[in-house]
Amino acid sequence: MNMPGVFENFLTEMSFALLEHHGAGAFVPIAKLPGWFTDLWGISLGTIPLAEVCPFLENFLLEAEAFWEAPGLAPCQSETWVERTSGGREIPLQARALLLDGKRVLAIFSPDLQFHEQVKMLQTARNTLLDHERLAREIQKKEILLHCIVHDLSQPLSVMHVAIDCLSEEAISDRSRQLLTLGKLASNQQESMIRDILHTFSDDLRASLNAGTEENASTDLLACARKTAQRLSPTFEAKRVRLAVVSPDDPAAICLVRAEESRLQRIFSNLLENALRYSPAGSQVTVGVESDGEFLKACVDDQGPGLPKDLRPEQIFGLFMKGKQGGGKAGLGLYFCRITVERWGGSIGCVSLPEKGSRFWCRLPRAATATVQPAQASASSGAGQAPPQATPAPARPLRILFADDQPDIRTLTCHQLKRGGHQVVAAKNGTEALKKIRAGSFDVILLDHEMPGMTGDQVAAAVRKSETGKKTRPFLIACSGNSGPEDVLHLKKAGFDTVLSKPFQLEELYRVLSASPAVSGAPAQPVKSPVASQAGFDTILARIGGDSQLLMRMIHTFLRDTPKRIAGIAAALRRRNAEELASLAHALKGSVSLFAAEPARKLAQDLQELGRAGDLTAAPAAFDSLKEEIANLLENLRGYAKQSPARPRSATTARRKPPRTRGKRRR
Amino acid sequence: MLGSFAVGKTSLVRRFVESIYSDVYQTTVGVKVDKKNVQVNGADLTLVLWDIYGEDDYQKMRWTYLRGASGYLLVAEGTRKATIDKAVSLEQRVREEVGVIPFVFALNKCDLLQDWEVDSAVEAQLADKGWNTLRSSAKTGEGVEEAFCLLARKMLG
Repeated sequence: MNMPGVFENFLTEMSFALLEHHGAGAFVPIAKLPGWFTDLWGISLGTIPLAEVCPFLENFLLEAEAFWEAPGLAPCQSETWVERTSGGREIPLQARALLLDGKRVLAIFSPDLQFHEQVKMLQTARNTLLDHERLAREIQKKEILLHCIVHDLSQPLSVMHVAIDCLSEEAISDRSRQLLTLGKLASNQQESMIRDILHTFSDDLRASLNAGTEENASTDLLACARKTAQRLSPTFEAKRVRLAVVSPDDPAAICLVRAEESRLQRIFSNLLENALRYSPAGSQVTVGVESDGEFLKACVDDQGPGLPKDLRPEQIFGLFMKGKQGGGKAGLGLYFCRITVERWGGSIGCVSLPEKGSRFWCRLPRAATATVQPAQASASSGAGQAPPQATPAPARPLRILFADDQPDIRTLTCHQLKRGGHQVVAAKNGTEALKKIRAGSFDVILLDHEMPGMTGDQVAAAVRKSETGKKTRPFLIACSGNSGPEDVLHLKKAGFDTVLSKPFQLEELYRVLSASPAVSGAPAQPVKSPVASQAGFDTILARIGGDSQLLMRMIHTFLRDTPKRIAGIAAALRRRNAEELASLAHALKGSVSLFAAEPARKLAQDLQELGRAGDLTAAPAAFDSLKEEIANLLENLRGYAKQSPARPRSATTARRKPPRTRGKRRR
Repeated sequence: MLGSFAVGKTSLVRRFVESIYSDVYQTTVGVKVDKKNVQVNGADLTLVLWDIYGEDDYQKMRWTYLRGASGYLLVAEGTRKATIDKAVSLEQRVREEVGVIPFVFALNKCDLLQDWEVDSAVEAQLADKGWNTLRSSAKTGEGVEEAFCLLARKMLG
């Protein structure tokens, strides 16, 4: 094959090796071979046994020969392969079979530039994939860690809560009671810290923070500050730091903000604990609430050393940020405050005060008055009354099965339930629980979710499956550390009626028990709404500044609207419209909260949750209980309205009334 | 050498052929062919090692490379469980493409045992399928020689 000189020079310039196939894997060069060819195989003249020296080409020749036999339209080209010279230099190569003037020709060339571009692109892509996989593994580890926090750290807390509650009900000295209160505060603080960690790190919980439950919630900022201050007052006293909550100039001012009550309490709790940490003995921490246009601003002022000079105020609310002197716990508290306040559309900040100390403030958007969170009603009792005691157990004795693999929790909870007059059967795991459930008859079944053998949800599913056709069904309560919305949904789908978040305290347990049909459906021992008592009306009145006219208007509005809401819920249930049920129950929950009717509020909330979960199985029973509660409440309110159309009582008097236990503790 | 990307196929070959190792991950593009002489059952044998790029969304493997293969080393790694799933699907694909040929399964990166997602139950499961499995580390050299020599013995029958 004769090559014109110009063409031959072109091939050499382009670094192409052009060889004619002479059969049996041997080739003869058509033109002068490039330098790399000699570097690799050490030959450049005569017949070259390419298939022998290059296994890759030996493999490719099978395709090339097929092409030479029957050339198609598609080119016959190899992928890139890499050869290494004796000096270790790597040369990327590609081969292409050609049919030129009837000759079987193989062109070999080095796609150097494209090859390096391709390597760069693939290296980036695969590094990114590996990073992604690593990140996914880290997230998985984090979830496992969260699970450990929830389960392993919460377990001892449950024991502590129940043990303290048990001791609180014993006849003990004031001093011992005071110490128990401190112990309870500490365990509550630890629980709060665990929840901070969860809320800071858990995506699910973060998502749940954004979910509907909070969007329409509103809370009384001042009442919440008072309640938190009351809860923390023993700790302040122990450090000899005064704690004062200052009322706004206008005592009748409505302090509702867009916020969820329990989280707002945690924000106050974190801000107050932070202030206390830096407050010298004998100084004062002051909480104030002031109007700020469309917002309300709460300020926590201390008389400590002021803000660290090396930190900008916004850095103080960063993740894992701890002060240098006597720093905080994990650097999560203030971070939690910031992300929560911002989520509600507010802002948070801090500043050193001109003379001494610092001010931490949060600014929250005002809310409408329709969906007041429950704590405001009870918050009036929070401005200096006794620390919360375990509420009495339901008066009607229940047959209860309690299953938990943690012996301490089992023993203490059973002990306390028995003291409440209930018949209690304990089980140490899911399998034993199911066996005992099948052998006995129970009004209420409390199941720990995570147990060896059968888990709580498996037991619940088995119980529900076996009760088809039965007239009565037990009230199933799940005890779980994982009580985010998705967890609750899962547990309710498994057959639970409600979920008790671990670590739980006795008052929560009693509240949940009181919602069981066996209790709420027992006419002999109805659970009285707090508002039934005169004290209940007094606290509501005090909260609205002693404005009895306003209270009467609230009562009349409630008496007018509530029957319609109840009828609406009944209709939604008949139509099995879960969404409508959730919406109506939510509205009812807000209005009963105004009257501190906790059982009714709880039942309305249960209905709301059932509606949101789309699971209406337990809704009729909950609705029946709710109707009874509402009937009691309406009766009480009518009675109050008849008996005392206007009972003037000044807000000042109400606030000045000396709280019983606080009076004991304070000089 | 077959397996998911970044399981250490190239590193195993370099450790075996040249006794060197680098911590830096360099993706393989294309095919690299190496040779190594070994003694198996008293006989001299030349292994021609085709280090084929790891198949993923960016590079699909040409199954023609397996034409004429006497056997293959199937590689996965312990810190990424998904690489085992890939190995399982590759083994099935090889059977479909070229029939049953000898192979050895190397679970690489055993120097990172503390980060492994794969537990011994998975290995036992693969062994139950009749796979010859062993742990290897291109970094420390553990199991590398054994893997290739075991494959050579199996290829010789």
